[in-house]
Amino acid sequence: MGSAPSDDPADIPFAPFKILIAGGFGVGKTTLVGAISEVRPLHTEEALTRASVGTDDLTGVGTKTTTTVAMDFGRLTMGTHLVLYLFGTPGQERFWFMWDELSFGALGAVVLADTRRLGDSFPAVDYFERRGLPFIVAINCFDGAPHYDPEDVRIALDLDPQVPAILCDARERDSVKQVLIALVEHVLASKIKNGSSAQDLANGSRAGVTAQAPPPQPS
Amino acid sequence: MPAGDKWVDRDAGPVVRPYALTGGRTEPASGAVLDVITVIVASRRAREPDDWMELSPEHRRLLGLCRRPVTVADVASTTGLPLGVVRVLLADLITQGRITVRAPRPAGEEPSAALLKEVLHGLRAL
Repeated sequence: MGSAPSDDPADIPFAPFKILIAGGFGVGKTTLVGAISEVRPLHTEEALTRASVGTDDLTGVGTKTTTTVAMDFGRLTMGTHLVLYLFGTPGQERFWFMWDELSFGALGAVVLADTRRLGDSFPAVDYFERRGLPFIVAINCFDGAPHYDPEDVRIALDLDPQVPAILCDARERDSVKQVLIALVEHVLASKIKNGSSAQDLANGSRAGVTAQAPPPQPS
Repeated sequence: MPAGDKWVDRDAGPVVRPYALTGGRTEPASGAVLDVITVIVASRRAREPDDWMELSPEHRRLLGLCRRPVTVADVASTTGLPLGVVRVLLADLITQGRITVRAPRPAGEEPSAALLKEVLHGLRAL
């Protein structure tokens, strides 16, 4: 351990944060997560204790199994202690038990959209609007997909004016990086607009980011 | 099947294969559900070699992954175990004092502007 300020592993700085990648089936969530991070499998189950109580008949336990859901899980270390976790979640309503959990304390969400099946994006947009989780819409430009103006997509999805809608190529690392930057900028802008930035800067040390955070500003 | 129509609780033992590792328990003994990015780390006590004697192989495996701070999602992904199973096993270790939970910020609290700026800086530097 030597030059480390402490030899206690418990003191190693580690600031994880999570971003959700939502969208319909086959829209490119796995591709997007894989373009910027190492994708590893992460399994969850439709929890017996929550989702299925009273509805699942366990009579035929021998043949009946719970549904194991695989998420696209990406992990990316930035600098010395920041770790970005990306969770690609299935878009169907029956997976919302996962969304409820994943959106808790999340930085924000990216709704990945395919212009050929824009309707698949509605549930995710609705969900994040209701939940109050900041999100942006990233339109994945598939080869051969009709090219839309992001503004048209915004109108089609009935997005609030402040919600960014941008084009991206989920296969390209730099494009995905721009999507994530756009999301964080959006979250930051909403925060400043809500007048909470001074308060948060003052509370920076509480967020465990003292290593590079600006000193608290007297208000 | 006589008890077929009844919902069976944890006392009934394993009902679903992955939860055989937890003795059929699907909820953490402590009742507290760990967030996927909750940071956990082995306690000082668990770093003593003879502390592990009484542990099950699965508990040992999880504890071994917590020598450095990791998240619950990291542990689930590395072991290939479902999140629900990992939560139950980790809760055991927490109750036993072998793992401590480190909260970078109160669970569920929105990221601060300071953290967001740091993240932005980190992303741009990629």
